[in-house]
Amino acid sequence: MSALHPFSLLAIAAALPAFAWILPAPTGGLATAGLALMLPLVPDPRWGVRVVRLALLTAAPFWLFLRLLHDGPTTVAIGGRITTMVASFVWLVAVLSPDRLVEAMVARGWSLAVAYVFAATLSAVPVLKARARRIVEAQRCRGLSPRGSVANRLRALRALALPLVLSALHEVDERTLALETRGLGAGVPRTPLAAPPDRPAERVARWALLLLCLAALIWRLA
Amino acid sequence: MAVNGALAFDGVAFSYGNVAALRDVSFEVAAGERVALLGRNGAGKSSVVRLVTGVLHPDEGTVWVGDWDTAGRAPEELAWRVGSVFQHADQQLFARTLREDVSFGPRALGFPAPEVRRRTDEALDALDLHAHAAQHPYDLSPALRKLAALAGALALEPTVLVLDEPTAGLDRAGRGRVADAVREHADRGAALLVVTHDLAFAAETLQRGIVLDRGRLACDEPLDRLLTSAERLKPLGLVPPPVAALSVALDLPGRPVRERDAADTLARVAGGRSRS
Amino acid sequence: MRILALEEVTFWYPATATPALESVSLEVGSGEVVALVGRGGAGASTLLLIAAGLAPRVTGGRLAGSVTRGARAGIVLPTPWTQLSGMAFTVWDEVAFGPANLGWPEHEITRHVDRALERLEITPLASRDPVTLSGGELQRVIVAGILAMDPDLVLLDEPTAELDPEGARAVWRLVRSLAGEGKAVILATSDVDALPGVADRIIWLDQGSVRALGEPSLLAEDAMCEAGLGTTVAGLWRAAGLGAPYPLTVVDAAQRWR
Repeated sequence: MSALHPFSLLAIAAALPAFAWILPAPTGGLATAGLALMLPLVPDPRWGVRVVRLALLTAAPFWLFLRLLHDGPTTVAIGGRITTMVASFVWLVAVLSPDRLVEAMVARGWSLAVAYVFAATLSAVPVLKARARRIVEAQRCRGLSPRGSVANRLRALRALALPLVLSALHEVDERTLALETRGLGAGVPRTPLAAPPDRPAERVARWALLLLCLAALIWRLA
Repeated sequence: MAVNGALAFDGVAFSYGNVAALRDVSFEVAAGERVALLGRNGAGKSSVVRLVTGVLHPDEGTVWVGDWDTAGRAPEELAWRVGSVFQHADQQLFARTLREDVSFGPRALGFPAPEVRRRTDEALDALDLHAHAAQHPYDLSPALRKLAALAGALALEPTVLVLDEPTAGLDRAGRGRVADAVREHADRGAALLVVTHDLAFAAETLQRGIVLDRGRLACDEPLDRLLTSAERLKPLGLVPPPVAALSVALDLPGRPVRERDAADTLARVAGGRSRS
Repeated sequence: MRILALEEVTFWYPATATPALESVSLEVGSGEVVALVGRGGAGASTLLLIAAGLAPRVTGGRLAGSVTRGARAGIVLPTPWTQLSGMAFTVWDEVAFGPANLGWPEHEITRHVDRALERLEITPLASRDPVTLSGGELQRVIVAGILAMDPDLVLLDEPTAELDPEGARAVWRLVRSLAGEGKAVILATSDVDALPGVADRIIWLDQGSVRALGEPSLLAEDAMCEAGLGTTVAGLWRAAGLGAPYPLTVVDAAQRWR
């Protein structure tokens, strides 16, 4: 799956939510949600289960809020669509490596800075997770327990939030400087290193997806 | 195993996935003892620090902190006995002011306010940081942040203090402040284990050297003997620090490795020469 | 050939009233190694950022005086872990990140990356994921990443802070070999004992100003020893009450002693 061209992966992750909102509820949304949740299981079921679990955990609070605000049918209708969006995004983050995306975008003539911002957004979650882990480790070494009662957990969460945000902001300055030293602002087109191959079949499939989306839209509006 | 030391490794092995970091490592550090943990980059030194703090637990063998086996103990429990500073201080500062940051540990352990205040004041004192107490940690220079992280560890008043490269990036004055603070803390009975590449700092401040080589314990002996033996240091990736090298080159009696001792010996020998 | 010239440079960081650097003039030619020494906060890092063209362009702040740079500069920051691109899954790609950004043809990139890996003795790490590296390995990868961009002015801020003694020695040898190829090197380090064999010139910075400037023998002079910035051997000689001139290195001391 990750051998697909980055644009193909993006196209799939964009098309599923699009179908979810275009097709009639609740069948459309539930069907796309099912598809989005099956995607990670295709290449390697054991790896896929972890991705699916993360997607479901992320989607769960949305269902809860929807149920609090709406009746059952509306909850299922919107829930399916939101689950599709969440699952597609979680799958995309898991399967798309930022460096391949940058290379693909640069090879297509995008500016490196734009490609970098795009890729940095994709990798923001794992980077923040790693940073949070290091901060929590250091805090535990100074006696703060993140376990136990709900009050305890909330206290630990509050203690984490401030340094997490502040250190991320602080690092933005350093990162800007550091990337500049690596020629990010050189102002010349970057040489693509091993640009991912884009098979004709994939191009055709991407166009087909787009046309299918348009067709569905026209059918729904007509 | 009978536990006498404040800190003991007994046949400890640890790996990251299938990459072995430590193999069959055993040593003991007594209360009040100051020990350097030396070796090449990647020899497993930082893993030792993380095992002492309970962030990691051994795959085999036992890590003892006093009479506590670290197995099954979380870092926040070990914080009652272990104070630590990891390599990059920036991720170890959490509060809006330096003072609040240093008091983080005692507050987290639930000490009453007067006790928190006393510990914070003493730790700020030990590193001469009072002038910066009201500043935001990120407004401090990297060197001061490093000292701040150490103050935070001292405020736990630990019986075991483990430090990973506490002098990296510090100038001579900063190194002196670290040396004074940790020596004073050891004098109060704490066991001190310091990972460092700075052999000059080790020679001045610490007593014993444990050297790791590719995850195994390669040697464990008094630093003054180890540091004056260039041929033994070389295969371990170490180089004698200037004072030790000078002692050997001039064949100074007693082979001193500390600046003060070497200067005294130098003066004495030179005085003897000019008289004869 | 003159590579860098600073004339009466004064620099203020944003929102500060006291300059971080004050009236500094300096010329560096190709093949020359200049070392900046001083207490923490004396202005060495600021001077390097200015020489790299990053201050005030990227850092903000205000600069008075003039800076002339005759060549492309590469700088190794004192915090190597922030200098990773975050866009590479192997060390090789990480080192190639800079050269690729410069738009070089692929075979040029390959040549420079392979050479840089060799010089830093990290060829065996080429296929490792950068996030799994130790601090010392990371520092070498970053130095390689900068050298692979083939700068004529190499700026190093505490390049050995994360390295073991063996690794530090290798970096100092590398500095000499860069100078031998005609590159200009400016470095800041707190390891003054390494400098006699490495630097051609020493600049003593004190609270943003140049306090003294000269050959490495400066590191054995009374004033520098007094400030705690002389070499260990010179400091020892002085502490022992033996007369000046003090020896600079262990070898000097041994010769004097006989």
